[in-house]
Amino acid sequence: MKHAFLDEYSHLESPVHQLDPRAKLVGFALLIIVCVTTPPNLCAAFAAYLGLEAAILLMSRLPWKHVLKRMLVVLPFILVVAAFLPFFSKGGGSYNLGPVTVSGHGLIVLWNVAVKSTVSVLAVILLSSTTPFPELLRGMEKLKVPHLLTTLLSFTYRYIFVLMDEMQRMRRARDSRGWSGRWLWQAKVIGHMIAALFLRSYERGERVYAAMLARGYDGGARVLYLHQFGVMEAGFLALITLVPLAARLMV
Amino acid sequence: MHHRPAVEIKDLYYVYPDGTPALRGVNLTIEEGESVGIVGPNGAGKSTLLLHLNGILTGRGEVKIFGLPVEKKNLREIRRRVGLVFQDPDDQLFSPTVFDDVAFGPINMGLSQEEVASAVSRALEEVGVTGQEKRSAHHLSYGQKKRVSIATVLSMNPDLLVLDEPSSNLDPRARREFSELLQPMKITKILVTHDLPFVFENCDRVVILSGGKVAADGEAFSILSDEDLLSGYGLELPYGFYAAPRETAKESGMENP
Repeated sequence: MKHAFLDEYSHLESPVHQLDPRAKLVGFALLIIVCVTTPPNLCAAFAAYLGLEAAILLMSRLPWKHVLKRMLVVLPFILVVAAFLPFFSKGGGSYNLGPVTVSGHGLIVLWNVAVKSTVSVLAVILLSSTTPFPELLRGMEKLKVPHLLTTLLSFTYRYIFVLMDEMQRMRRARDSRGWSGRWLWQAKVIGHMIAALFLRSYERGERVYAAMLARGYDGGARVLYLHQFGVMEAGFLALITLVPLAARLMV
Repeated sequence: MHHRPAVEIKDLYYVYPDGTPALRGVNLTIEEGESVGIVGPNGAGKSTLLLHLNGILTGRGEVKIFGLPVEKKNLREIRRRVGLVFQDPDDQLFSPTVFDDVAFGPINMGLSQEEVASAVSRALEEVGVTGQEKRSAHHLSYGQKKRVSIATVLSMNPDLLVLDEPSSNLDPRARREFSELLQPMKITKILVTHDLPFVFENCDRVVILSGGKVAADGEAFSILSDEDLLSGYGLELPYGFYAAPRETAKESGMENP
């Protein structure tokens, strides 16, 4: 089964792709923090953040359609959390939109949630699409993220497709025996499949552990890190911290 | 210099945690440079025996690898010298990229960055899979995965190569290529498999394991041509095959009648 995963365009060539993952991790994290702590009325600041991200997007040569498509993931979040607030909360003046009244207060909350989640999600997409996942994990380890966490993420990345393939094989075997999904009683089969998948994964985990022991694993984390922090990284970090801060403080 | 065989197993007993006895007094000695096939019916204890060779399982009795007893203080050295390749490549290839998998062993050995990189490229070249370093194992074909699995232990420079079901699920061409990959290797080899023709092609000596004990141990031709011996342990050559003595066989393999 052919699979695409979260670092789909991470093998392109661009100045952003070449950067040390640590610089990107720290840089985008700082951008998100500055954005999230900005009061919602400083619209120019948000324009600056988005402008900065657009510039990085341009430099990274990522296909913008792909980026936009992945940004849609933030839409359900906005809808569930904030879309209905202008209609139900009170205060901050009210405006009439035909038959419905919306409160100014609610609108500001909606704007707050929408713009901040957009900036944050775009930052994460830029990070993950320009950095191959294994290198991202190595960067995290170098930044002292606990080894247990990065090992878990590493195995998830490696085995998620294996699990999906097993699920597909189980599904095909099930459908071949006449399971149609139309009857309520057939639902318990799904529970059985999940249990089977869990057992198989658990046993595979034991075998993988044996394979790791066989190659000398002793629980220690030794990271082979081939990136270096240089002028480009320093420049990137300067740009991504100073521009948002300046926008935030001067607006 | 005191003579040390590659593998020395004396009276090895092992019982699984749930009480099932798996090995009931295995005695086996393998010299350096030998190529041994271990065959036997399902449940004979073959895979269990392999796990004793590098200390993943510990039973009662004596197991020595190149003279080193398999005990905690020797495990590091033993796991470098014994390259154990598991049956399912997806169990063996657990890192995000091919490079990471082949580098896993050398990194655990404490080699420097340059030494690791050269060990990895050497191992991948030896198995004939180059240029795939940055790919995730999931994107490789089954045959490539099997080859990379071997590379993951070759990069540690082992002295004993142990393969569990090496030819399973390989198509005929991949199986042929795998055989051609193994044969020139001068390293001591142990193959555990059901594929008797594969054993005959790649091993000089055959050991039949049955019921947790060594049932027969001898030259490949004499064991595999003895139909009564084989059928006594639930084994037989596939339909249409018989063992031909090496000198008269077309290419030191089996012939069809």
